Amino acid sequence: MLNKLARWSRIKSPWILHLNSGACNACDIEIIAALTPRFDVERFGILLKATPRHADVIVASGPVTRQMRDRIIRIYEQVPDPKFVIAVGACAMSGCVYRGAYNMLGGIDQVIPVNMYVPGCPARPDAIIDGVVKLLGKL
Amino acid sequence: MSFQIPIGPQHPALKEPISLRMTVEGEVITDVDIRLGYNHRGVEKLAEEKTWIQNIYLVERICGICSHSHSTCYVQGVENLMELTPPKRGMYIRYLVSELERIHSHLLWLGVAGHEAGFDSFFMYTWRDREVVMDLLEMISGNRVHYAINTIGGVRRDLDAGQIAKIREGLVVLRKRSEYYFHIGANEPSFVGRIAGVGILPKEKVIALCAVGPTARASGWARDIRKEDPYAVYDEVDFEVATADSCDVLGRVVVRVKELLESYKICEQLLDKLPPGDIAVKAPRKAKPGEVVSRYEAPRGENIHYIKSNGTDKPERLKVRAPTLANYPATVEMLRKGFIADIPLIFAAIDPCICCAERSVTLVSAASGDESVVRMSELRRRAIARHHNAPPKRNAVWPF
Amino acid sequence: MTDAELIEKLKADLGDKVVEIALPARRRLFLKVAPRDLVAVTTRLRDAYGFVFLSTISGVDNGEMFEIIYHFSTPETDLNLRAEIPKADPHVDSITPVIPGAILYERELQDMFGLVIDGIPDARPLVLPDDWPAGNYPLRKDWKHARPLEVIPGGKS
Repeated sequence: MLNKLARWSRIKSPWILHLNSGACNACDIEIIAALTPRFDVERFGILLKATPRHADVIVASGPVTRQMRDRIIRIYEQVPDPKFVIAVGACAMSGCVYRGAYNMLGGIDQVIPVNMYVPGCPARPDAIIDGVVKLLGKL
Repeated sequence: MSFQIPIGPQHPALKEPISLRMTVEGEVITDVDIRLGYNHRGVEKLAEEKTWIQNIYLVERICGICSHSHSTCYVQGVENLMELTPPKRGMYIRYLVSELERIHSHLLWLGVAGHEAGFDSFFMYTWRDREVVMDLLEMISGNRVHYAINTIGGVRRDLDAGQIAKIREGLVVLRKRSEYYFHIGANEPSFVGRIAGVGILPKEKVIALCAVGPTARASGWARDIRKEDPYAVYDEVDFEVATADSCDVLGRVVVRVKELLESYKICEQLLDKLPPGDIAVKAPRKAKPGEVVSRYEAPRGENIHYIKSNGTDKPERLKVRAPTLANYPATVEMLRKGFIADIPLIFAAIDPCICCAERSVTLVSAASGDESVVRMSELRRRAIARHHNAPPKRNAVWPF
Repeated sequence: MTDAELIEKLKADLGDKVVEIALPARRRLFLKVAPRDLVAVTTRLRDAYGFVFLSTISGVDNGEMFEIIYHFSTPETDLNLRAEIPKADPHVDSITPVIPGAILYERELQDMFGLVIDGIPDARPLVLPDDWPAGNYPLRKDWKHARPLEVIPGGKS
């Protein structure tokens, strides 16, 4: 019974954590633009939280640099179960233009398991909202 | 007794990973250590393996907010190396997009500054207005960010009469809304009181530490590459360099607001004088051996690219110095003697574009060497609470 | 003063410290000096000619030699000061006593090329990660790296 309630609230109002692992900022600005009055995800109950311990969904952007690798794993472990990861942008999917650089390990899925990929360089806010909603539909 | 506080690479205040370790005594910061490298992507090494044209797209993605400035700085340099002169119409379109990018970047920054100062409504208003500019840019180039409108020898897309009319309408709307912001200061003494006197950077320090952009211009150091080293069309339009004298975050807000007004003026002049003609000339595949230094005034300061060619179709060396890196020593200076609670505001005031560098703050206690991690959101909450409890600063004056 | 007048004044002032001076384009002076004269020339440029603003320091790997270029500017002109350092003995003096803002650029040169900058106040690495193996200098021409193997989750690698 409590499980059903928890599951309903998670689907109806997911709290997201924004993780930037070495990106050029374009996807991050689009994620924040999704909160602003034009796209307004807060009407769906989606809140941007400050700390991993309060979040349900990690919205990750940027290719993984060597320096960030351990930090990403640490943050992933701090998010309580059940957790979901959305990889936003071409960098988080596979590294975009930085593939093959000496400091890069590739996309986010080289480090943590990913549930949903949102392509684009940068991904439009509409696409990001679409990705989050589709992920919730699968739960 | 001092304290060390780290603010980790992931935190909500600034959207990029960077690490600052601060040594604190009580509430006052005594020393700051910046750790870059979370965002180091090896672009300079990658650039040596790609051709001149492929590098335009690589260099553009050094930064998302000022992507056109990196791309334009690079293309200017390569056009010098190849001894090409792009046609006038192409240049006008290129610098029109530059000014639109400056407008969008300053509106973004005003929103971030408002958010850091606790003024969230202002954040929402400016980002709503930013959408007007994003729509114009999408109409001109096809994408909201990373416009990819530059090519070696000119631009890739032309403007027709319908688009020009829409740009003019958009500028009228933006100008009206921006003028509303200029009067906010007079109606919101708490906002002005919050940002006045924070993050002082005297002019001698600006000169010694080689700071750039609005951070330096807010201390009276009037250097703007568009006036000194006028490339292309900037000597044909009339505008002024915005400066302020108060050396603090209020001065930086004032400088950026003035630059917004100047940018609207420049855009209108560029549209009025837009000449007919081609938009690009054909570029050769290989560049003659040589070297070139290309400088550009990005929204955050001076962007400099040094390009060396060895006669093939790939560059021999591409060196990029983005403006935020030049402001780091100045930031360290500003944070010293400041309060912990002001860290998010001071850091936001240099308009950091860390991807051009990463952000967490570690406060290190100088006496005991203890470390504690404080999230930026916690700092912001403390800052806003402290400001509510402090007596209001009545002597801060909004200059408009 | 114009660029040509500045060139004449510099030649007269610095005398035999000037190895080579060129003006390939308007507002772009390239002045070459020997590495041991760098600090003296920088001090003179700052005090007598007003070159207080350093944009950045570029390093180039030319095979046997490293070339370091200091990019200065004033509202009237830009001066690029060049020095060549042999790869076998890559030492150069720090100019932070003259221009304190040069510290980050010198740290980056140390990281990327393996130059040793004598007298630098803070020699920690700037941009490379903490677990970077020592002795690897990414921007040297002879440094190659193996691309890390990527695993495609749920698919063929």
